Amino acid sequence: MSAMEFAKEIDLRNLPCPMPVVKISKGIKEVAVGQVVKAVTTDPGALTDFPAWAKTSGHQILETEEAGGEVSFFIKRLK
Amino acid sequence: MEASVRDELLRLFGSKLTREMVLNLETCSRCGLCTPACHAYASLSQPRYAPAYRAEVVRRVYKRHFTAQGRLLPALGEAKPLTDAALEELREAAYSCTGCRRCMVCCPFGVDTQQILSIAKLLLVGAQAEPEILAMLADVSIAKGENIDALKAGFLEGVKRLEAKVVERWRVQAGATPIPTEVEGADMLYVALAGAHSIIPAAAVFNAAGENWSLSFFEAVNFGAFVGDPAKTRRILDRIVHEARRLGVKEVCICECGTAVRVAKQLSGGQPFRVVSLTEVHARYLREGRIRVKKLPGSFTYHDPCQIARNGGVYDEPRLILGSIVEDFREMSPDPRYNWCCGGGGGLVAMGEETLDFRMRSSRVKADQMRESGADVVVTACENCHTQLDNINTHYGLGKDVKFLSSLLAEALTDR
Repeated sequence: MSAMEFAKEIDLRNLPCPMPVVKISKGIKEVAVGQVVKAVTTDPGALTDFPAWAKTSGHQILETEEAGGEVSFFIKRLK
Repeated sequence: MEASVRDELLRLFGSKLTREMVLNLETCSRCGLCTPACHAYASLSQPRYAPAYRAEVVRRVYKRHFTAQGRLLPALGEAKPLTDAALEELREAAYSCTGCRRCMVCCPFGVDTQQILSIAKLLLVGAQAEPEILAMLADVSIAKGENIDALKAGFLEGVKRLEAKVVERWRVQAGATPIPTEVEGADMLYVALAGAHSIIPAAAVFNAAGENWSLSFFEAVNFGAFVGDPAKTRRILDRIVHEARRLGVKEVCICECGTAVRVAKQLSGGQPFRVVSLTEVHARYLREGRIRVKKLPGSFTYHDPCQIARNGGVYDEPRLILGSIVEDFREMSPDPRYNWCCGGGGGLVAMGEETLDFRMRSSRVKADQMRESGADVVVTACENCHTQLDNINTHYGLGKDVKFLSSLLAEALTDR
């Protein structure tokens, strides 16, 4: 279990396409610049979608953690 | 609107004026047969949702800037200059249309309103006034294509985690990979969506049929098409085309995503592979006796995804599949060619909460159809349709189950 602190957790489990990216895109705007969001997903595609989204939107994935078939992304809002 | 912006938008407009488009723009006789054909009009009874009205928003700008009469006597024929207000009307017209083309099949001349509205979407892209979410999703898909070598390892880890669930549905021979990737010379490249639900049942059926297949690194959906940007549409599609050519596959199978099927079938061009929908592949397995199935209990109806059925001609295959796996199948529409759109296409579902109220109000006729089918389960073969039908089911309190056709087929697999 990651010890990383986060300001908001977003549940993206079992969502239809393209809701994981849509919801993380909206959710990151709900924390202040510099704060971290934890996004939990069951999507295998998220492992490529989220890094690509972070690159185009200018945010930073600090850590990725896998546990029990779920993947958590810790994403820092940079702008 | 600055003159330079308007000039650029008119240049874009001009780039869409093929002979076919001009025929569409100049043919409407205002007979009104398309009006009740639109699910939004049929549900809401507002003139702005009449297909001919939506097309007229584009047509007036066409008349003003591209016809001699409109340039010289704009008051005749209600020609209208391209202004910021006109752009707003174009946005309303373009994003209240799902591109289902039910109006086109009801039009005595076959006027393609969806194609006319592709001009509106292109102008919005040119003015950077397209829906932000759709543009963002298209950019993510393109970034994924540009960085796939760095992203592959993560994707493969995610896929690995699904393998046990595939084997639960259908065992594979010792040493075989339940979800193969990067298989050079595979017969088929399967292009799924990001979610596990798009991969697990499809993989189980491929394995049951003994298919020589490989899973694509890319998602099938094309957000460039939703947003109406031809350049982005091409770049997103080319990721898949290049992967298929590199692996040397004979066939590219597109998952249950209507837009992805239509774009890949219609825009891939001459390639050494053919493009098919997952539904067509599944029907072929049943015809050829490559899979065995059992009958599932319950009553079922089928929603034809517009991009796969009306725009893609796939009507018989889902009925063949359902006829094989359920005892009680009930048609939703007396003629599937005129089945109502779910109300979620054209990028509306992808825009999420932003469009939810309109999507629900404009799909009253779909809700009525679902209710009147009397079936317990509504089956479909498109991700967008599934989400929208699920939303309708909740909003109108229909009490149905909404299922993917591929999931149902995987459930019906048997070795006896």
